[in-house]
Amino acid sequence: MKKICFAVALSAAMFSVMAQPRLPKDYFWKKLDNGLEVMVIENHKVPLATIEIAVRNGAYTEGPEFSGLSHLFEHMFFKANKDYPDQEKFLKRTQELGAIWNGTTSEERVNYFFTFDRDSLDAGLRFMNAAIRFPIYRTEDMQKERPVVDGEFQRAESDPGFQIWYESQKKLWGDLVTRKNPIGDHNVINTATPEKMMIIKDKYYFPNNSLLVICGDVNHEEAFAKAQAIYGDWKNSGFDPHQKYPIPEFAPLESTKYFVKESTIAKTPYMMFHWMGPDTRHDSAGTIAADVFSTILGLNSSKWQQALVDKGLATYAGVNYQTEKYVGPIQIYVLPNPLKLKECYEEIMNQIKLWANADYYTDDQLATAKQILQRNFIRQTEKPSSLASQLTYHWCSTSYEYFTDYIDNYTKVTRDDIKRYVEKYITNKNYVAGIIINAEMNKETKASEFFKPNL
Amino acid sequence: MKKFFSVAKYLWAALFVLIAVTASAQKGDAYEMTVNGVKVIVQSSGNEIVEIQTIIKGGVQNYSMEKQGIESLAMNGLTECGTKKDDKNSFKNKLDKVSAQVYASAGKDYSTISMNCIKSDFETVWPLYADAITAPAFNEQEFNRIKQDAVNGLRAQESQPDYAINNMAKQIAFAGKDNAKSPEGTVASLTKLTAAETSAYYQSILTRSRMVIVVVGEIEKSVIEQKIAAMLAVIPEGKPFTLKKETISPVKNSFTPEKKDLATNYIQAVTSAPAPGTPDFNAFQLAMRIFSQRHFLEVRTNNGLSYAPQSWFDGGSSPSANIAVSTTDPNKYIGVLTTLIEKTKKDGFTEDELRNIKTGYLTRFFYGQETNNARASSLVANEVLHNNWKRALTLSDDMKKVTLPELNAVFNKYITNLVWAYQGDPAKANAVLFTEAKPAKQELPKSKVATKKKD
Repeated sequence: MKKICFAVALSAAMFSVMAQPRLPKDYFWKKLDNGLEVMVIENHKVPLATIEIAVRNGAYTEGPEFSGLSHLFEHMFFKANKDYPDQEKFLKRTQELGAIWNGTTSEERVNYFFTFDRDSLDAGLRFMNAAIRFPIYRTEDMQKERPVVDGEFQRAESDPGFQIWYESQKKLWGDLVTRKNPIGDHNVINTATPEKMMIIKDKYYFPNNSLLVICGDVNHEEAFAKAQAIYGDWKNSGFDPHQKYPIPEFAPLESTKYFVKESTIAKTPYMMFHWMGPDTRHDSAGTIAADVFSTILGLNSSKWQQALVDKGLATYAGVNYQTEKYVGPIQIYVLPNPLKLKECYEEIMNQIKLWANADYYTDDQLATAKQILQRNFIRQTEKPSSLASQLTYHWCSTSYEYFTDYIDNYTKVTRDDIKRYVEKYITNKNYVAGIIINAEMNKETKASEFFKPNL
Repeated sequence: MKKFFSVAKYLWAALFVLIAVTASAQKGDAYEMTVNGVKVIVQSSGNEIVEIQTIIKGGVQNYSMEKQGIESLAMNGLTECGTKKDDKNSFKNKLDKVSAQVYASAGKDYSTISMNCIKSDFETVWPLYADAITAPAFNEQEFNRIKQDAVNGLRAQESQPDYAINNMAKQIAFAGKDNAKSPEGTVASLTKLTAAETSAYYQSILTRSRMVIVVVGEIEKSVIEQKIAAMLAVIPEGKPFTLKKETISPVKNSFTPEKKDLATNYIQAVTSAPAPGTPDFNAFQLAMRIFSQRHFLEVRTNNGLSYAPQSWFDGGSSPSANIAVSTTDPNKYIGVLTTLIEKTKKDGFTEDELRNIKTGYLTRFFYGQETNNARASSLVANEVLHNNWKRALTLSDDMKKVTLPELNAVFNKYITNLVWAYQGDPAKANAVLFTEAKPAKQELPKSKVATKKKD
């Protein structure tokens, strides 16, 4: 899916002459001279505006010494800057604007977003500008924020679902696990310094590594003019951070790995299975096929659901692929019936073996899955304030064209595409399998004895 | 392309009182009608999605402590145990075909049977929805499956610390009252239930006298009327039903610890709050919102004690004020909280805070307008709890009328003795600090106190 490279002569000299990406209706894109991409999404359903800045930063940019610091950096965004020099003033400003706000850090994106009354757009853009460009990192602020971030980590660790996921990631990604773990490392978080924050800022926080989205009850020409006026003098870094600081490639999983994790807080067992899946750099078609296949497996009529959920072996059995630029994981997450744990595990293994068979699903199920994905898209676009984050996800992990075309591309997926996907990434491929279970149930069910490779 | 885990920042920013936030962007477009004695509330949506919620009032008031979980199981059974026309698989496969959602859930005050579909699928989905409500089969084999799943799901839910601490706190604070019951039930109560008993129970609460129906979507009035009339024709009128409202007034502070091997400690306090429909309700809503901001500032920003300090007003038929935190330093936390409550009671809130919270309310008002599901849920909550669905449309204006003296008065009136629940390491908490941490009764200056209640 190559970009269509027509040079567009813009009447306003303020914007670079750039190729216009192919976009959905009511999406308008421009690139400022400093490299900042600006997307305006007009949606007049409610009189609100949402602004979001996404930065191509996150766990994938972190080696062990920085593990979790993209996330800490994101917390510090909400702390202090030149216009609002402490968090009390920062918070007061959000309250004056009546803003709903948040930020997230994931593997391939860090994003910050505010929703407020449409008439506060100018004020909101200025507020965002101060925070993204002129943060202040004080040692005392960081000392206060480190336990907060670590507290978020501890909350996650108090959840058995996170525990099994975390253990799986370590085994799946090996030495590069920090590149897939946004929450990071306790020690790195608790010893972080302002100097480390500045290193992140000086590597990634530039207009040419960021996307500003202005979404909601706005006019695109006016929004572009405001973006230019407020962000136009943000200085380009002069380098592409992802060329200067390349992301290392993940090595294929060398062997299948199993683990049984005992935990007193797991009142019922959970199982997880992971494979290394396709990514959008090398196999966009595979990522699309993955979504369609996962949707087929989610159908009540699928062999997968019938064998596991319908037969009472599992309360839940979901298969999911996460689209990413640097190796997206394929995940099975099962909440098994603890009274039939062994049977459940054996049936999972049995079903996976059948996935590549032509008769594993019907033509009707394939068609239904495509219909579901199309209807899901209608639901995804229902909430105007969520549109910005949907777009920035794609900007970081796929492309504008991928975003514009993916629903249409779902309809083009063939049986051969799915077979290729399953055979290339799952069948006879190494994987990581884990179960989290409390000691008593482990003893009763003998999980440690049967939860072993048999594929 | 679903994600399993990412780190989201400010948890509290997404938490606010469920029932209070939504209203109509176009206030004139909602109407009510009575069909076979049941109030039907309709709001247009301007989009392709249709959301319908059929409500059965009563919630935990409908069953005894020994039978808790029965309504939840009954609701699940409507869509998971087949109907008189379709077995479970046939029913679910038909829904899958059009990616429609028909599901039911049991709450503290009412159960909701929901339908969400694309408008073009309405004629396909409605008969399935009506069948689920009027002709559920409660097939015994399927029932046994969902019962096991319910037990399993409950154990998984109890492994989630936020759920577990809230459940524990409510059980202690509302001991002996309906609100101490859990709609999800317990392993013991669920295990004893049979298909026949659950089916009979469902028939006993399926009466027109307990029902309200809300439709949000672009469906013609005559179509709605005709379809709902046909559905209601087979449902008995039943005895008149009024939802009981029950408040608490803790007579002293209390502290109940429970040892759990968590990475941090979860703590929640519950105390009194005004009932829906009383004059204090709106002012208390705003007071708790502002207090939530102060709590966040003191606990997280100024003292770095927690990632997720929260406080909120649960405005159901058994209302409560709630303060919660996860922290590794509970003793320091209780000191900070006590000082904060004392200061708030002594000095009151400010005009700035009141003005800002009203601005924020307006944003949330429209934010809650973005999806048909949110609109329908707000209409339902206001109708059932306040006996006034139009409140969902006037809420933003209603809140503008709240004055500072009213705000101060309600905070002083309701934030009194705190019932604490604690899960984690009991050795980390000094119980005396919690039980003796009683903010002194403060006399506010006359200018800060309401001299009479709102009409």
